[in-house]
Amino acid sequence: MTSALNPQTVPLARRLLSFTWITIGIAVLVTVVVGINYPSILVSTLATGGMWALMAGGLALVFGVMNIPNFAHGEFFMIGSLASFTVFTPIQNELLEHPSTLLLVLGPFPGMILAALVGAAVGVVMEVFLFRPLRRRSRDQWVMNTFLLTAGISVVLVNGNQLLFGNDFRGITRYWDVPPLQVLGVSVAVDRALVFIIALITIALFSVFLRSTRTGRAMRAVSQDETGAQMVGIDLNRIFMLTLGLSCGLASLAGASLLFMFPSYPSVGVQPLYLAWYVVILAGLGNVQGAVVGAFIVALLQTLTVYFIGVGWVDVLPTAFIIFILLFKPSGLFGSEVKGVWEQ
Amino acid sequence: MPARTSVSAMRAFLADRRVPVVAFVLLLLVLPLIPPFNRQDFTRYLVVAVFMAAQAVAFDFTAGYINVVNFGFAAFVGLGGYTSGLLAANYGLSPWIGIFVGALAAGLLGLLTGALTLRLRGIYAAVMAWFVGLALMGIVRNWADVTRGSLGLNVPLFFASSDNLPYYYVILAMLLVTLLVLALVIRSHLGLAFRAIGQNVQAARASGINPTRYLVINFTLSSAFAGLLGGFYAHYYGILTPDVMLTSRTVEVLAIAYIGGRGSLWGGAVIAIPLGIGVELLRIQFSDLPGIHLVLYGILLILVMIYRPAGVAGFLRGLDARLRRGGSAAHEGE
Amino acid sequence: MLELTELESGYELLQVLWGVTLRVEEGEFVALLGPNGAGKTTTLRTIAGLVEPIRGTVSFRGKSINGVPPHQVSRMGLGYVSESLNLFPAMSVYENLLLGAYAVRDKAQRLSTMELVFELFPRLHERRSQLAGTLSGGERKMLAIGRGLMPSPSLLLVDEPSLGLAPIPTLAAFEALKRLRERGVTILLVEQNVNTTLRIVDRAYVLEQGRVVLEGTGKQLLGNPHVQEAYLGI
Repeated sequence: MTSALNPQTVPLARRLLSFTWITIGIAVLVTVVVGINYPSILVSTLATGGMWALMAGGLALVFGVMNIPNFAHGEFFMIGSLASFTVFTPIQNELLEHPSTLLLVLGPFPGMILAALVGAAVGVVMEVFLFRPLRRRSRDQWVMNTFLLTAGISVVLVNGNQLLFGNDFRGITRYWDVPPLQVLGVSVAVDRALVFIIALITIALFSVFLRSTRTGRAMRAVSQDETGAQMVGIDLNRIFMLTLGLSCGLASLAGASLLFMFPSYPSVGVQPLYLAWYVVILAGLGNVQGAVVGAFIVALLQTLTVYFIGVGWVDVLPTAFIIFILLFKPSGLFGSEVKGVWEQ
Repeated sequence: MPARTSVSAMRAFLADRRVPVVAFVLLLLVLPLIPPFNRQDFTRYLVVAVFMAAQAVAFDFTAGYINVVNFGFAAFVGLGGYTSGLLAANYGLSPWIGIFVGALAAGLLGLLTGALTLRLRGIYAAVMAWFVGLALMGIVRNWADVTRGSLGLNVPLFFASSDNLPYYYVILAMLLVTLLVLALVIRSHLGLAFRAIGQNVQAARASGINPTRYLVINFTLSSAFAGLLGGFYAHYYGILTPDVMLTSRTVEVLAIAYIGGRGSLWGGAVIAIPLGIGVELLRIQFSDLPGIHLVLYGILLILVMIYRPAGVAGFLRGLDARLRRGGSAAHEGE
Repeated sequence: MLELTELESGYELLQVLWGVTLRVEEGEFVALLGPNGAGKTTTLRTIAGLVEPIRGTVSFRGKSINGVPPHQVSRMGLGYVSESLNLFPAMSVYENLLLGAYAVRDKAQRLSTMELVFELFPRLHERRSQLAGTLSGGERKMLAIGRGLMPSPSLLLVDEPSLGLAPIPTLAAFEALKRLRERGVTILLVEQNVNTTLRIVDRAYVLEQGRVVLEGTGKQLLGNPHVQEAYLGI
């Protein structure tokens, strides 16, 4: 995504004063203030923020590389949470009967890994059987068509889950059945702390992948100029499979990780979908880094609204906020299109 | 020769588009009066089907002509319903007036939403409309003092009797009015502007059209009709919950509109009848499998998007073109 | 090395080429000339695999490459420098070049080719960390050509390198092509700048309305009355 301004010639001070940086600055300030006074809120926000970063990052990736606004993204959260529940429950039962430290520590991971793999696999299937045929037929109105296509997929997945597995809530209370940690006088649930760390590690790996590996570079190339990518020998179909697989895998990992907060049921993906989309639109469509950063800001916003203003406003305020931002910066906080342009 | 002339005359008669339209309308008018269709349960299916048809028309007015998917459509319908319902329940306002107040409310929200979001890219506008819808649903759910939230709001009905037939003619009238008004707008210079903008915004701007103004007009009109239909919903079912605004409701309408054929207005209306009835029958048959009708809609939508993006209307238009070519060839043979 | 036989090609609603026959032998420097809209770019795009032929064949080294996807055509040794360049604007000059060698497995080879490119275009070396989207027009052309060279192609298709360039960068671009030629790279060049082109190529074809109307050596065409009248303003 080209920057409208050459980053090497705009003086540092002017850049810092830009709308975007002011917003980030305010967010950091608020975070610090909240953290000092209400540390448990901060911890909770970091845990969810980390996972929303994975979800929003995945959504931004698919839009950036494949130009697909994935409305079924939330359903991968659901798939992940279901997969992890299915794998973890027997492990949990085993732990109750035969307690073992090794199993206690490593128990949650098989579920999470399987969830990511299952999600990735379903994503690849979607690419091969749905998006590839569509691509072959016509690229006309691609964005709108794929948006509607994924809306259809979403409906099928949610109701399919309901038909196959019923409407029950399948949840767990804790992944790691240990007492909370005491950090600087604050009680921190182990689940939340570890989930945050998992998120950070995943984000770091993902970032390294995109920036420094041959395939990651190829993915970025495809997102910037598809034809150019073909001209240098990049197989688009392979990249698309990888992109969708990665994106859906990340969403499923998020769903698996947050199982203790969000039990598995057919429409559990609704809120994550909304949050992921909110972050991506706020940060600027297709901007993966912006989505990751934006996720933490949005998580904070959400927590603050619920805590200080009341549950009733949790829907209205964010919507009003994003409309306000988009009025001034139609391409999103981190987006860099010059104007909000209509796509051709 | 007389025989050949009557064949080509018949071909011309059938090819004349007014005939199928009139025939279809007549069919709809008399269907619930003819055995074996003159049963209460069948009439009820028809009511639901025609309700979906009318919604699909209002939806397609935006999606098919200015290329904007109002992903919060169900919320505008719900707004109309709640407005009319609350006025009737709390202030005794006659439903026949209330539904227009509901249309007004929904139209105003459409105006506001459109003005704020339609200058953005198509996908942004669609998602923003979705956010507005979610926000509205949240407000309705949480403002339980007024709306009774998920417990449900009891709303007075149109008619005293529980006979479905009068309700059917009300919704049928609404469908026809919606179709007529929106089709007339499409044929006017407004419609021309819509299509120009839908195709290519820059070119439209260069021809002196201010795109945003027309987009907002379109969106407002569509929302107003959505609200009107919401009023019908309220005074037909007699009970409202925030679930009327669920995104899956929008997807149902959307699916019908696209399967019917985007940009045709009538496509969704026509396909809604068999689909709506079929879905209701499916629901009865498989009452132990909740949500199966949504799976059906989803699969159909996916198939249409990949294999027949022009929908049923596009398919019929292709047939129609081939018939005409066949007719004129026969003519030439004479 | 490259042979087009009665090639018909075009886009969904518009056929552009109506039977193009030409060939490029190994080591040659051949030009494809003609007015705007004649189908020169379509010809290159079809060879590169970005457009599928309607009829006729494109063969490379004796084998038909009709319908071969562009990324495979590239890997066969057919480089393409497009008219619109298709650079990766948010990546640096270095990364663009690196991606040019995407299909090259040998790291040492990649590095040595990059050195070659920097030698050919010292300006690129100066700006190797700069984002491609912020380069000047001439620098972008150089980068596009440089990137096209990274996989050490045996045949290079170049589409209008002088388009939109001031005289000095134009000369530089042609200089670069001449030096490539000296290194033994076969080149098929599409150009509007007929005068300069005919003086540096071995042979040329003139394309009008999707058909080859003239062919000959550079000198022959320079002396051709039709060419002189239509393209040289004599």
